[in-house]
Parts: sequence; structure tokens; C-alpha cells
Amino acid sequence: MFERRRNLLIYLPVYIVAVSIYLIAGILQPRFLSWNNNVNLFTRIVPLLLAGIAQMFVLLTGGIDLSVGSVIGLTNVVAALLPFVDTGWNIVLWLIIPPMIGLAIGLCNGFIISRWEFPPFIVTLATNTVWSGFALLIMDVPGGKISMNLYRAITGKLFSLIPVPLILIMAIISITYLILRHTVFGRSIYALGGNKNIARESGIRVERIEVATYAMSGLFASFAGMYLSVIMISGDPLVGEPYVMNSIAVAVIGGVALSGGRGGVQGILGAAYIFYLIDNILNLLGVSTFYQYVAKGLIIILALAITSREKGLPLRIKAK
Amino acid sequence: MKLPKSTIRDTGTQQKIILLLFAIIIGLFIIGELISPGFSSFKHFKDVVRTVSFVGVSAVGQTLVILTGGIDLTIGSLITMGQIFGCLFVKGDDANLLWAFLSILVLGGIFGIISGVGVSYLKISPLVMTLAVSSLVDGVTLLVINGAPKGVASPILEKLGAGMTWGLPTMMWIWIGISIITIVFLRKTIIGRQIYYVGTNVTAAKFSGIKINKVRVLVYVLSGICSALTGLLLAGNTSRAFLDIGKEYTMWTITAVVIGGTSMAGGSGGYLGTAAGAFIIITLEGLLTVVNIPEAGRKIAMGLIILIMIMIYYRRDRR
Repeated sequence: MFERRRNLLIYLPVYIVAVSIYLIAGILQPRFLSWNNNVNLFTRIVPLLLAGIAQMFVLLTGGIDLSVGSVIGLTNVVAALLPFVDTGWNIVLWLIIPPMIGLAIGLCNGFIISRWEFPPFIVTLATNTVWSGFALLIMDVPGGKISMNLYRAITGKLFSLIPVPLILIMAIISITYLILRHTVFGRSIYALGGNKNIARESGIRVERIEVATYAMSGLFASFAGMYLSVIMISGDPLVGEPYVMNSIAVAVIGGVALSGGRGGVQGILGAAYIFYLIDNILNLLGVSTFYQYVAKGLIIILALAITSREKGLPLRIKAK
Repeated sequence: MKLPKSTIRDTGTQQKIILLLFAIIIGLFIIGELISPGFSSFKHFKDVVRTVSFVGVSAVGQTLVILTGGIDLTIGSLITMGQIFGCLFVKGDDANLLWAFLSILVLGGIFGIISGVGVSYLKISPLVMTLAVSSLVDGVTLLVINGAPKGVASPILEKLGAGMTWGLPTMMWIWIGISIITIVFLRKTIIGRQIYYVGTNVTAAKFSGIKINKVRVLVYVLSGICSALTGLLLAGNTSRAFLDIGKEYTMWTITAVVIGGTSMAGGSGGYLGTAAGAFIIITLEGLLTVVNIPEAGRKIAMGLIILIMIMIYYRRDRR
């Protein structure tokens, strides 16, 4: 029960901010509340949500993954270069190869970090540079193709009623929630982030869990890369760049502590929503691009001040 | 952020690192000369040193911030701001220079205060706070110039950014001056020592009476001022304003600090290493450009270099 109350305190501020931005936007510009605009929002937040979840797995153990951006870039390029005839084995290959690349990169990061206890910030900074170099090597200018059927499937509506991105969002959130809350792996992640030594003493294989979180991060980042290639119907080696920092910002606004052990997927949806709500409203209100930068910076700082004190809410005292 | 188990602490190791770094720089120049004759010529050396100086001045701020255990992602945006506002305020007239110089430095300081207050008093993680502030800086810059950079640098500014003094780039002398001040500041002054203490152990620093929040705000302010100054001097180098000129600098400064052996967790390292680190990355970039390696290859090489340096610095803790 205590845990539930604490969770409420972590996630409530994010949704208060999100809902108030939504309502203010609705009052200022009624067009904002239209169903089409909302479907458009669902379509656009999926990659950021995936990148935020990727980052969250690693942040929960007290690590950090700056290679999210290059994994998105690389898998995006690979997905756009694979044969785009969407029948039989081709589609299976398309669905398998990019996640395998993400998984392999994540495993590689996790291995370097946990085997030699190197600082994750620098290791992933370096691997991010390396893999974004490979993405540029494979495709130096945006190009490639994606099957139109895939595009139609992702942007379409189920039973011509429910938009597919909405179903994807629900599926992503519930799968991640189940992994974190109802599997041994998920519980171990929190134990590890809370206190590594105690986790080790209580029989958790700390190194394995750590490697697994980086692998999960690579996997989710590769999903984001694939999704982006489908909605852009092409590949772009630089598409992942903004996601390096935005994924961290989304996770932190969503209530994940950079020191580990606190937060979850519930807040990340709200945070990703806040990110695109800001863009969306400012566009709909016809605010000039230059003001948009300023406004975005200010709103993010404000959201951070409300939702993400590094030490958490005063309910829990944690030694630094 | 996770604190690494093994950090570089004693001065003996520190000196070894710096010797290693200077050996690498010399090695790079020798390899460069072998691959492409003329690489180590005095003329090319001057070009390299000038670019290194710009990175070096902005990396002063990054070093101070990282020593306290933080990180500053506003550097790139502040350099762009300094460069664009430099041209805008100076308008090609030396009479405007002093006023422009002061106002740009004050602006850099103000953005530093915003980052610092967020990090220290509001306890927002430095990574995200400075990211948000950099978006703010970009916005303010674009807003003021309304999207199109205007103005030109003045003769004195051009002499500072692109001219020569005593046969070497003026910029290099500025950098050497700032480096000496920084090294003395970090080693000999009370505030300089306090920066290390805050990075080593926040709780201990607090109990020994150090005003932690004030030290933290100070390093961000100094970093903001350094970046704004770099931007202004870059205006002298390019003569005209460009959007996005500072983009690369955030990563360059972080890489220089990391290669220089300063611990990302804070508390150990120093500016001399960073200076050598800046030299290494710019020389390496130059070397790879000379042998016609495309951007992809340069990125892979740069990433591998950082990985190798980590392997050297952070050997496994022997318990």
C-alpha cells in the first residue's frame, strides 16, 4: 500500500502537467481537441515513447545509455534498405533483423560496462559515436524504401475505428509494465537500482541483470528505429540524433530518477505526451519557430522542476 | 549517475596520464607527416593550434562543471549565441567592441546562473537541466536575430580571432593565458579546491562547511562565460555570423575532458589533461580529413579512441 501511495506521488505531477497543457491548448484553440489531431499525436509519440522506455530500463539500474540515438539511426537505415516485398520470408526478415542489431549493440554495451565496471556515460558516448558512424557508412544520405502496405498498416485503423498507433501504445505500455512489475527480471532491476550491494547479497546476479537492461534498451531503441522508417517510408542515418537527449529528458520528466531505483513506465507516456503537446499546440496556435524554442525550453524546465527532483519527493530519504 | 568504482586519484597517475597524452599528440603529428608530407609543417601546425584554442577555452567551463560531478550541454548553444551576437553588436566597428564584449559575457553568465540554480537549488539532474537551457539559448538567439544572422566582426576582433602575434595565432596566446589562470585557480585558490571537494564527496563537503550550492552555481556561471567568450572570439575568426557554428563544441569539450583523464563522477582530474585532450581530438580530426576519410570513418575512429582511453584509465578495481 505504501508503495502505491509513493507511486501516486511520483506519477501524479506528470499527468497534472500533461492534462493542464491539454486543457489550456483546448481552450486556446478548439481545433486542438479534434479526433484527427489526437490521432496525429498518437502516431507521433510512439518513437519517443519507445526511446524513453529504452532509456528507462538502464536508468532504473543507475546506468545511462547514450547509444539509443545511434541504435535508432542504424536500425532505421537497415530497415529501409531491406527488401521491401512484404510477403513470406521477406517480412519475417524485416521484422527480425533490426531488433537483432539493437539487441547485439545493447549486449555489447552491457558487457563492456558490467565486465570492467567502466562508467556507462563515457562507454555509451563512445559506442554512440561508433554506431552512428556505421549508420552513415551504410547510407550517407536519406533514402531507401519501405513497403507501402506496412505504412498503411501502421497508420491505419483497426475495424476502421481504433487507430493502430493507439493500440501499439497500449501494447508497449502494458508489456513493459508486466516486465517491470511481474517478472523476476523486473523486480531485480529495481533492487539493483536501490542498492547494488544488497541486491548482490540477496542472490541477484547483478552483472547479468545489468547486461540485460542494456540489451532491453537496444531492443526498444531498434523498435523506435523501425517505426520511424515506416512512418517516413524511408531511412535517414541522422534520425536518431535528437533521441539521445530527448529519451533521457522524457524518462526524467516521467519520474525516473537518474540515480536509479525509482520510476516506471507509467510516467513516461505522460512525459512523451507533454513533449509533443508543446510542439503541437505551438504549431496550431501559429507561434513562430523561434518562440517555439524558447517556450519549449521554459516548459521543459518547469515540468522538470515540478516532476523530477533528483532526490525524489521528501517521502523517501536516500543516501547519496 | 552511477559512480565508477575505480577513479583516478593520486597525482602520480595524473602525471603519467599527461605524459601519455603529450606522447600521443607528438605521435599523431609524426604519423600525419608520414602519411601526408606537410602535415607537421609550421603553417599547418598554426591552423591546428588555432582551432584547438577555441575548443580549449570552451573546455575550461566543461572541466570545472565535470569536476563538481555535473555536465554542461549548453556550451554549443552558448558559443553559437556568442558568435551571432558578437557580429550583431559589433557591426564592424571597434567602438562597439567593449560594450559587446561585456554584454555577451553577462548573457553567458545569466544562462549559467539558470543552469546552476536548476541543478543546485532545484536539484534537477544537470544532464536534463542544461539540455533544456540549451533549447532556451537557441530560442533566444534565433528570436533576437529573427532567424537571419546579421552584422560583421570588427578589425580588433578579427585580429584576436584570426590574427597573429609573435609569429603564432593570437588566439593561442589567449588560450595559454586562460589555461594558466584556470590551472592556478584550481590548484591554489580556496574556491578551486572546493570544486574538487564537492565532486569527491558532497556530504563530506557539506559538513566541512563548504557552501555546495554556491560552488555549483559558480561553475555553471564560469562555464557560461567561457562559452560566450569562445563564441565572440569565433566571430573574429569567421568575420560573419553563422547559425549552428557551435554545434560540435558540446561533444568536443566532453570528449576532451574524458580523454584528458578527468573523472565523469567528479573530484579528480584537471585542466592540463583537458587541454591535451582538445589537442588530440582536433589533430586526429585533421589527420583523418587529410587522408580523405569520410565523416562515417571519422566518427568510428573517434568513438574507438574514447573506448581505448577508457580501457587505459579505468582498469578493473582489484579487491
